[in-house]
Amino acid sequence: MADTGRSRLLFLVGVGMITVIVLLALLAPRLTPYDPDVTVVARYTGPQPPSAAHPLGTDTLGRDVWARIVFGARTSLAVGALAMLVSLGIGVAVGLLAGYFGSWLDAALMWVVDLLLTMPTLLLLIVLATLLPPSLLTIPLVIGIVGWTTFARTVRGEVLSLRERDYVLAARALGASHGRVIVRHLLPGTLPSVLVLAALGMSGAIGLDAGLSYLGLGVPLPTPSWGRMISETQTYFAVAPWLVVVPGVAISTAVIGFNLIGYGLVDLLGAPRT
Amino acid sequence: MSGGGRALLAGLVLAAACAVPLDPPPAGPADGGGPPRPGGVLRLGSPEDPHTLDPAKGYDTASWSFELMLFDTLVAYDQGTNLVPELAASWEVSADGRRWAFRLRPDVRFSTGRPLTAADVKFSLERLLKPTIHSQGAEFFAGLEGAADFGAGRAAEVRGIVVPAPDRVEFVLREPDPLFLHKLAMPFASVVDPETVARVGDDAFAQHPVGTGAFRLAEWTYGQRLRLERNPHYFRAGLPYLDGVEVTIGVSDQLAWFKYQRGELDLAGIPSAEFPRVVIDPRYRPLLLERTTLTTQYLGMNCALPPFDDVDVRRALNRAVDKQRLLALIDGRGVVADEILPPDMPAYDPELHPYAFDLAAARAELAAAGHPGGFATTLWATRDDGTLRIAQSIQQDLRALGIALAIKPVDFPALLEAVRRPGMVPLFLMGWEADFPDPSNFLAVLFHSRNRDTNNNTFFADRAVDRLLDEAEPLLAGPRRWQLYHAAEVRILADAPWVPLFHPSSFAVRHPRVRDYRLHPLRPARLETVWLAW
Repeated sequence: MADTGRSRLLFLVGVGMITVIVLLALLAPRLTPYDPDVTVVARYTGPQPPSAAHPLGTDTLGRDVWARIVFGARTSLAVGALAMLVSLGIGVAVGLLAGYFGSWLDAALMWVVDLLLTMPTLLLLIVLATLLPPSLLTIPLVIGIVGWTTFARTVRGEVLSLRERDYVLAARALGASHGRVIVRHLLPGTLPSVLVLAALGMSGAIGLDAGLSYLGLGVPLPTPSWGRMISETQTYFAVAPWLVVVPGVAISTAVIGFNLIGYGLVDLLGAPRT
Repeated sequence: MSGGGRALLAGLVLAAACAVPLDPPPAGPADGGGPPRPGGVLRLGSPEDPHTLDPAKGYDTASWSFELMLFDTLVAYDQGTNLVPELAASWEVSADGRRWAFRLRPDVRFSTGRPLTAADVKFSLERLLKPTIHSQGAEFFAGLEGAADFGAGRAAEVRGIVVPAPDRVEFVLREPDPLFLHKLAMPFASVVDPETVARVGDDAFAQHPVGTGAFRLAEWTYGQRLRLERNPHYFRAGLPYLDGVEVTIGVSDQLAWFKYQRGELDLAGIPSAEFPRVVIDPRYRPLLLERTTLTTQYLGMNCALPPFDDVDVRRALNRAVDKQRLLALIDGRGVVADEILPPDMPAYDPELHPYAFDLAAARAELAAAGHPGGFATTLWATRDDGTLRIAQSIQQDLRALGIALAIKPVDFPALLEAVRRPGMVPLFLMGWEADFPDPSNFLAVLFHSRNRDTNNNTFFADRAVDRLLDEAEPLLAGPRRWQLYHAAEVRILADAPWVPLFHPSSFAVRHPRVRDYRLHPLRPARLETVWLAW
């Protein structure tokens, strides 16, 4: 662990980036006087460049870009966290069951995982997002359903080694039920990996949400969403580049931030790399 | 400051630095001077291949733009909406309005060199009515005597299309139809070459179209390019001026703009992002082309579906939409619409403004309808950015009334399908472009109760309106006809199945070398008199 100092630094940078975004989301109404969904210019004459009144300018509907960025942070974090929790829930449950019970259950569950992994993520996302009516609940659900396989694989791998450990064998020898063994003895052992996966999962989910929004399948209009902010304004890049660059920077910050946290945790917790 | 904040700031500085000034238009010869010069190839771009080049099948702008170059009709429109002879030299209508007799020009030849005869006209219209063709244009000629029998396979020919001599063709209608000439001017009624149809078959004719038009098809490499060359047998002496037209396929609107600026395309539309600075740029001003169109964009309300079955609710929406902002959002490319008919349409009444923007009145009407706090509903719209901006603007307008609008973006074919199903779509954003310059093409097609299974997508049904429309239908163009349509429109507006939004104009830019290219209010532009200066 020669790199611990560097790992810690990157981890802290990640934490800093995410802190900024979390603060934006929490303090959104105090950070801007404007409603992010409403045209604020008196008369629309195209997007306006950054000014004192509108620090990041206005968009192609005359709305304040800064307001949409800070409220968009709420969308991104909410969708990212919910999607990550869905993935985490399914993935950890499947991983624990498959790893602990093994045999045909393991084979069946891992067959499902392999099947899902062979499908192109974005295609699967688009199909699901088209079938379900888009809302702040269904979008994370869709992303979560698509993203749980990595969790399942990692947790299963952990459990495969954990279940042969002495303390687990001892617990079973003492007559502990399957449920007790899984929840009290195996689950805690997987926590470091799960934490890492959670951070990386946030990053992935935020990226996927941006992708879905970019394709016009994300959260319903007019909810501010960084991905859609880019897709709505990309043809304005020559005229009003800030409309594209600002949400792009926001998405990158969130994705890189969570990634740095995840990889920092790998080293700090000694969890296996995924 | 955190890494994120710093990155944000750096990005902003970078962004501000890379705002690109407007590139100049392509350079070319200055306007004016000299008569038209023949020669040269006009270079166009198109995002997709045309749907078809078979005039019996095409019913979209892209297909029509090519069909107009390849084929001719008996009558056609001038630069405006007046009908003028094309393949026909003259025509007469009988006193009862049921018999139309045309005399053909003697000098018309197909691009194969074969002279046009009246039998070819009969062949083309019968082909349109053949059930195996499944033409959407067949309904326009269903009023021909014997069309139904022919369509059902009970007759070998259409009795109502008579060829008394090789240069004369007569149409017999079951009932007088004042729109018959307009229908004959639709590309559906184009005269096709029977020999080619016989040789290649009905289906392959779309790839091997042969007509009497100013151009003929030289090459169509699907997904890549479409080349037309001048028809040496074209009947108008000395025309077309162009040697040909070359269309590059797969060029998006944005790409077409860049290619135009680089001088690689002769005509292009103007992207919304660039429009405001293009119209005020003196370098571009002489190259701008503009034309109002016979189109109305509207917010449709389903009169059969609560809460829009209540006229007070529909009126409240009419008062709550800020149309000035909508117009600003489309860069001012058009005029605000307060009525159904577009300007340039007979019976259009510039004094008709039934609903002013008035939120207080809208709230009162909504309260009177039993929705003082508003309600939740869904607005269907196509998923292009422009339409979704309009939808979001209306969404915030209606929020002021407490109406929570969920926007449902769908593809255009899905929208067309959905609005026809009763009880499916409460609110929708659409536009209607006139097929011909007659108010019936808006009012009867979109609001007669008998059309609720086709284009009356608001499911509007009013006996008095139906009566007015029925009474106007057989009348020839003239004050009485316009009066009746005006009365019908006033009644429809009072019942408010639409919020008329705006009448868009079409805009384009030309390369300085392109001369005498004019946008048409009703049809894609025609190219036979276009010429290139150099």
